[in-house]
Amino acid sequence: MLVNAYSKKVFNLAYQFAGSYEEAEDMTQDIFFKLHSSIEKYDFEKNFTAWLLTLARNHLIDQYRKTKWEKKSRDEFNEHLLSADSRSCPEEGVMIQESKKIVWEAFNHLSSEIRMAIILRDIQGKKYEEIAEIMDLPLGTVKSRVNRGRLQLAKILKEKKEEKNGL
Amino acid sequence: MDCERFEELLSPYLEDDLTLEEKQIVDTHIRTCASCTELLSLMKQARESLASFPEVEVSEILVEKLYELPQKRKKFRFVTDFLLRPSLQPIMTAVTVLLVCLSFYAFNPDRTAINRSIERQFQIGFSKVEKLYAEAESITHTLGEYKDNVLVSIKNFKPFRGDEDEQPKT
Repeated sequence: MLVNAYSKKVFNLAYQFAGSYEEAEDMTQDIFFKLHSSIEKYDFEKNFTAWLLTLARNHLIDQYRKTKWEKKSRDEFNEHLLSADSRSCPEEGVMIQESKKIVWEAFNHLSSEIRMAIILRDIQGKKYEEIAEIMDLPLGTVKSRVNRGRLQLAKILKEKKEEKNGL
Repeated sequence: MDCERFEELLSPYLEDDLTLEEKQIVDTHIRTCASCTELLSLMKQARESLASFPEVEVSEILVEKLYELPQKRKKFRFVTDFLLRPSLQPIMTAVTVLLVCLSFYAFNPDRTAINRSIERQFQIGFSKVEKLYAEAESITHTLGEYKDNVLVSIKNFKPFRGDEDEQPKT
């Protein structure tokens, strides 16, 4: 039941955060193991998805700090994401494809907290209030982190664009 | 408005989360600053790219592993429950004390002094045991002598000798 309902959500969060398919599979198993161990602590009055994602977020950021994933490169964008992208079609602009690739690779330049905020807001489309609950942060801090993350990504896109034009 | 302040307002501007007054200030800045206009356009592009990231499917192998996790946890719980049984607590305490003593000995910078002291105590103990053994030997020897005397006395005691001492009458 839990696996069916939440494995995709947790796995995608781990994959977007870590950037490595294998790493994300290991992390998903760890998160579900933790979920089974701490399910007794769950307060039934709270939102279960937010509670699970908080558990996942804490585990991912802890592991990131311990193992320093940023030193490892992320999977190639084309490797798993492009094949999974049913919406992508030949008509989709080359520019959008290119910028998706750059943004995916640029994730490694964002700090773990900013990366998590961007994933929850811009990829998963969550409301700021939900993100604040998951990340256990004030609303203003979440908004500021999202803005900083988007700015960093925009600046990286700008650099890449300038590099391309310079060549 | 400076560019730094503009950068702070970029996200709320894109998400239409500004007051009318702030929005007008941002709009005015955009018309005058080419660099910020480009940044705004790139931020839009980054947001669009992020929003169109696809969801990746979970592999069947991973799903199987996730279903097996509660079983693994049961095994894990069996081991921890066994180790945390109340009847094992005295043994665990003794082992802990032993390990603390061992670690105290192993990590002590003045270990040679401890060795010497242990050796001295051992020698004192050994000599005490030797003395006790010698005393026990002398007691055994004395008892042996007493035993011989008692046996001789018993042999010489008349009632036990019977007719041996009487001379045959001729």
